[in-house]
Amino acid sequence: MKNRAPALLAGLALAPATLDAQPRPARPDVPGLYAIANARVVTVSGDTLENGTVVMEEGLITAVGAGVDVPAGARVIDGTGRTVYPGLIDALTTLGHGQEPEPGAAAPGGGGGDGGRPHAWGPEDRPGTTTWLTAADDLDAGDERFARWREAGFTSVVSTRHEGLAPGQAAVLNLGSFERPRELVVAGPVAMRVNLQDRSRTYSGFPGSAMGVFAYLKQLYYDAAHHGDVWADYEEAPRGRRRPEWDGALEPIRRQLDEGWPVLFPASSRSDVVRALATTAEMGVRPVVYGAHGAWEAADLLAAGGAPVLVSLDWPAPPRDRDPDEVPALAELRRYDRAPTTPAALAAAGVPFAFYAGGLDDPSEALPAVRRAVAQGLSADDAVRALTLSAAEIFGVDDRLGSIETGKIANLIVTGGDLLDEGAAVETVFVDGERFETAGAPDASAEEDGDGGEGGSEPRHRTGPAGDPAAPPVPLAADRGPYRDDPVTFIAGATLLTASRGTIENGDVLVRDGRIAAVGTGLEPPPGATVVDAAGQYVTPGIIDAHSHLAALSINEGSVNVSSMVTIEDVIRPEDVGMYRALAGGVTTINVLHGSANPVGGGNAVLKLRWGADAGGLLLGAHPGIKFARGENTTRDRNPDRYPGSRMGVQDVIRQAFLDAGAYLAEWDAYRAGDGLRPAPRRDLKLERLGEVLRGERWVHAHSYRGDEILQLLRLAEEFGFTIRTLQHVLEGYKVADEIAAHGAGASTFSDWWAYKVEAFDAIPHNAALMTERGVLVSINSDSGEEIRHLNQEAAKTMKWGGLDEEAALRLVTLNPAMQLGIDDRVGSLDEGKDADLTIWEGHPLSMFGKPVQTYVDGKLYFDVELDRGRQAAIEAEKQAHLAKLGLRPKAEEDR
Amino acid sequence: MKRNAHVRGTGAALPLVAGTLRTARTFGVRRAAGARGAPVTVAAAVALGAAVVLGAASPAAAQTYAIRGGTVHTLAGEPFVGTVVIRDGRIAAAGPDMEAPAGAEVVDAAGRHVYPGLFDAVSRLGLTEIGAVGVTNDAREQGGFNPHLQAATAIHPASELIPVARANGIAATLSAPQGGAVAGQASLVGLDGWTVEEMLIDPGAAMVVNYPSLAGGFRDRREWSERRERYDEAVARLDEWLDAARDYQRAVEAGAAARRDLKLEAAAQILDGGMPVLLAANGDRDIRNAVEWARGRGLDFAVAGGRGAWKIADWLAERDVPVILGPTQSMPTGPDESYAEAYANPGRLHAAGVRIAFATFTAADSRTLPYEAAQAVPYGLPRGAALAAITKNAAEMLGFDDRLGTLQEGRIANVIVTDGDPLAIRTRVTELFILGRRVSTDNRHRSLYERYRARPGRRVPR
Repeated sequence: MKNRAPALLAGLALAPATLDAQPRPARPDVPGLYAIANARVVTVSGDTLENGTVVMEEGLITAVGAGVDVPAGARVIDGTGRTVYPGLIDALTTLGHGQEPEPGAAAPGGGGGDGGRPHAWGPEDRPGTTTWLTAADDLDAGDERFARWREAGFTSVVSTRHEGLAPGQAAVLNLGSFERPRELVVAGPVAMRVNLQDRSRTYSGFPGSAMGVFAYLKQLYYDAAHHGDVWADYEEAPRGRRRPEWDGALEPIRRQLDEGWPVLFPASSRSDVVRALATTAEMGVRPVVYGAHGAWEAADLLAAGGAPVLVSLDWPAPPRDRDPDEVPALAELRRYDRAPTTPAALAAAGVPFAFYAGGLDDPSEALPAVRRAVAQGLSADDAVRALTLSAAEIFGVDDRLGSIETGKIANLIVTGGDLLDEGAAVETVFVDGERFETAGAPDASAEEDGDGGEGGSEPRHRTGPAGDPAAPPVPLAADRGPYRDDPVTFIAGATLLTASRGTIENGDVLVRDGRIAAVGTGLEPPPGATVVDAAGQYVTPGIIDAHSHLAALSINEGSVNVSSMVTIEDVIRPEDVGMYRALAGGVTTINVLHGSANPVGGGNAVLKLRWGADAGGLLLGAHPGIKFARGENTTRDRNPDRYPGSRMGVQDVIRQAFLDAGAYLAEWDAYRAGDGLRPAPRRDLKLERLGEVLRGERWVHAHSYRGDEILQLLRLAEEFGFTIRTLQHVLEGYKVADEIAAHGAGASTFSDWWAYKVEAFDAIPHNAALMTERGVLVSINSDSGEEIRHLNQEAAKTMKWGGLDEEAALRLVTLNPAMQLGIDDRVGSLDEGKDADLTIWEGHPLSMFGKPVQTYVDGKLYFDVELDRGRQAAIEAEKQAHLAKLGLRPKAEEDR
Repeated sequence: MKRNAHVRGTGAALPLVAGTLRTARTFGVRRAAGARGAPVTVAAAVALGAAVVLGAASPAAAQTYAIRGGTVHTLAGEPFVGTVVIRDGRIAAAGPDMEAPAGAEVVDAAGRHVYPGLFDAVSRLGLTEIGAVGVTNDAREQGGFNPHLQAATAIHPASELIPVARANGIAATLSAPQGGAVAGQASLVGLDGWTVEEMLIDPGAAMVVNYPSLAGGFRDRREWSERRERYDEAVARLDEWLDAARDYQRAVEAGAAARRDLKLEAAAQILDGGMPVLLAANGDRDIRNAVEWARGRGLDFAVAGGRGAWKIADWLAERDVPVILGPTQSMPTGPDESYAEAYANPGRLHAAGVRIAFATFTAADSRTLPYEAAQAVPYGLPRGAALAAITKNAAEMLGFDDRLGTLQEGRIANVIVTDGDPLAIRTRVTELFILGRRVSTDNRHRSLYERYRARPGRRVPR
């Protein structure tokens, strides 16, 4: 990035005019001179003083110590029997900005087709983005939460607006009296918040999926960096040059990038954390993860990624009004049980973290929630630190807040006992040296009659913790990962259906270090090998599904007709038990594709079913691909109207997209060939991926049904000089089989689905066989979490409908899809040197009676029909233990 | 006597439309109308506009066939190598060492197998053509209570989907309406006929009742108390309808009904077991609730769906509740259930002694019926039980086993000849007899295949 003119920086920092318009009020009085003497002082940053004194003057801490002199004129508070802490910090709130927009409220510049909301046609429309808003401005004077939070012991909060995808900048506020709103601001922008879900949705259209959100955030940050570059370049020599376009949404991000403030990024589960770290790395910003109820299983990643964490104190619990017979899913039960262990896990891993009240309506529930974390192993010191100094450190304000040190802001609380003791009351709160008595003060409590103060919370919709909060968490059943990982496995005496060179009767397979080391007859097991007696059984290569939608958070970004900016890789969902179920059907590799809502979809992800691995560990490393689509799914009515509405338009959209991509490549080529004095062109994720297609670096997998639309796509690809890698579904492929073969596209089809759409009415179960006969490389895919579990049967149907032989049929779900995905050097047949991805079957796999008994990926045993029972029992036992602990009705014995 | 053939006036207020009714030959007697005190109405026949004259209109049915030399699986005894004789639309004889009757067309089945035609216990065949095209879908009517509507009224005999199903051995089905609390009457049809009249075996074979569910569906954000309330209301509505039907029936019998009410007249048919009910329910709790309700109302019923039935297999067996199962190849009922839950469901029910049958509940995929049964075999269902569950079991459950389901003498001649076990994928159906007529296995798929296979073109060697 180039240097910018300083003058420009100054101007930009003020960009959107949101300064208070009110005249500065007269300051009523100077905060008093206070001394709290003879108290226990928990400084947090240093030693705890058992009998110390804290002196405050002009809103600052001026002295702390055991033998400190109390200055003359100070109001002295006798702290005998009291403890003084730094004021608590709620590390993420919306205080001062609680008003959510009306759902669907029209934003200026509207005119889309969806109820008057403006329609976002892509990242350039900056959907849900108000990065220029800072929580330091426009504080809502009517927000009654300031007083309630203060009452609960919070003297500072980090506040943000929260509507939208990039709602704005976080600021640190002190919760003093509100006559002087501007003086509440302790620090201006300290972070930029992003959300992955936009609950307000004041616009329609893009992004319409989780994938779209990730793509958007990346593009937004690329654009911000680029915006800074082009303006700096322009400012250097504006004369005679066309000025760049101004974008007020980007300047605050550019400033963030320059100044290095972090981004607040939501993440709960381990896979959320993986996505947060990967995405923020691409955005070029430091992440601060918030939410984090599942971070107990991601502490290692957070430590390695150097990401601090804001833990929500709104611990999950079963809803009060719940179906008494319904047993929550294990993942849900684990969340209830484990979320409060997150702080201890983070502390153990050395991850900096702070607390925030999260969805708690009543801030007085925050300390009990912290106590629950302490009961689950968090040390008292770490708990207090997380409520004070850690929060200040994470937001870079530990030079003024978070501990009791001379020179810091006089934010203190005085409690009747240890803060973490049950029933400990916050009696007095000092904010900026200003004293506030609370309902917990000895004098006040008598009057309040234990009512809990104003704004009492609604009855909670969730149950509280049941039983002993210190009870250890329920031990985790081993529900993921391989059953065995033997260095050497010897499968003996099976019928081997190799998929590459016929059937080997009474054959053996030697697996070593994850690869197939030998295939043949009469082999001897090496010493130490795990021997699997497979006599009477069958071995095939692991099944490969060339078209799956498993293991993804979202499938379609259908809001726009070209969504090549998105990719499945951004939203891999390793928790999807569908992968294990596919393993139980003998499947070892899947091609996870974007859906078919639009002519140009998003990137794909070829995964090996290493059940239990993180997203990165699932990726096979295949050649990148992208989904295209033709036909009814792309043209049917949508709201608002989205071009195209006909097959003519589909062709046009794809052609125009490639013309744009070609121009984009040319722009970059010219830049690279140039003198480097001009800024680089804008990086455009959408065109970048299409450019990769033009350069053969990314393969097209094209959803298509009708023969004519298949032909049109082949011709269009030829026009742009590339080859369609696979036609997906291609139900009328048999009508244009010669043309497909001549083009060189593969075809991946269904076995026998038909008649669900007009374009599926000429689908015939002979399609795969007929195309094979005509020289097309054919596979059979599932496109379904159910069908994937018996692709072997679907392949066998081609023997009945079209007369393929066994080997040709088996290849449809093994070697052929491997070739289509360009991974046949790794998988797809029982050949030496290939990855040991294989399935052992009881009963012939090309029949209705073949049942997978073992499935290996990389030589590791990921499915075993016997061991599965033990795993299933362990899962059930863990669920019952959770139910007992929660005091929920265990499932009646008679039900089983 | 068959209800719709037994044209008995049920009251002076009930105008007979005998002119449209013919009491011509129908197949068998399902149960004596008076034997169980069943009310007899003409609603079913009226709705259809004509009574059943099965077979009479089809000259081919008059043909006599002798299927000779195959292994005959009658499903009523041990298999034998022998002959099956079809005459006048029925099985005239089946046994070893039999001569073909004089004049019979002999079908050589040497080396092949002869089975009863497969029975898709609930399908939408004839009611839908193309899923995504609303106007080709006639299975679902508006409103929640449509006991007077009959599938047969809308069955399209020229549906391209019918020959496709048939080619894989599906010879008969209960084509059923769907939607609402009471979807209407399922019609029992053989899958061949120039007109629906030629296909019909029983236009009002069963009433489809979608028992209310307590389960929260996908994206159901309602809280439990609200779900529970809606459920109670839905059950109360169902009860009110049945009570009204009972009142109406009594009024008609007393000659006191002011006017004819087609809905109540039709609903009255299920009272006292007069017409069996297809009681749709899937979750174990929903099944229990549905069963307890139906037993409490004295209905003759079979559960339809039954995904969670294995969890209450013994409970169902104790009450002898038959279950018509949906696809075995379906997903587990929850994220923590075994991958094999649906695969093992039929075997577990069978082992507990529950009577089961299979249904696809679709039209386009009706041909995969044998695979839904076969899928259960490696997971515990004996092959013989699987075969019974796609041939004769549903007929027994719903009371038309005197007409369908086995190759016994007198049964409707739905017969398939195959080159192997119908449960096996590679097995081909080589001969097809439906309602006594010899039917081609040609269909849209085969003709497209043959047409495009013959397309002249440049073959590209790979």
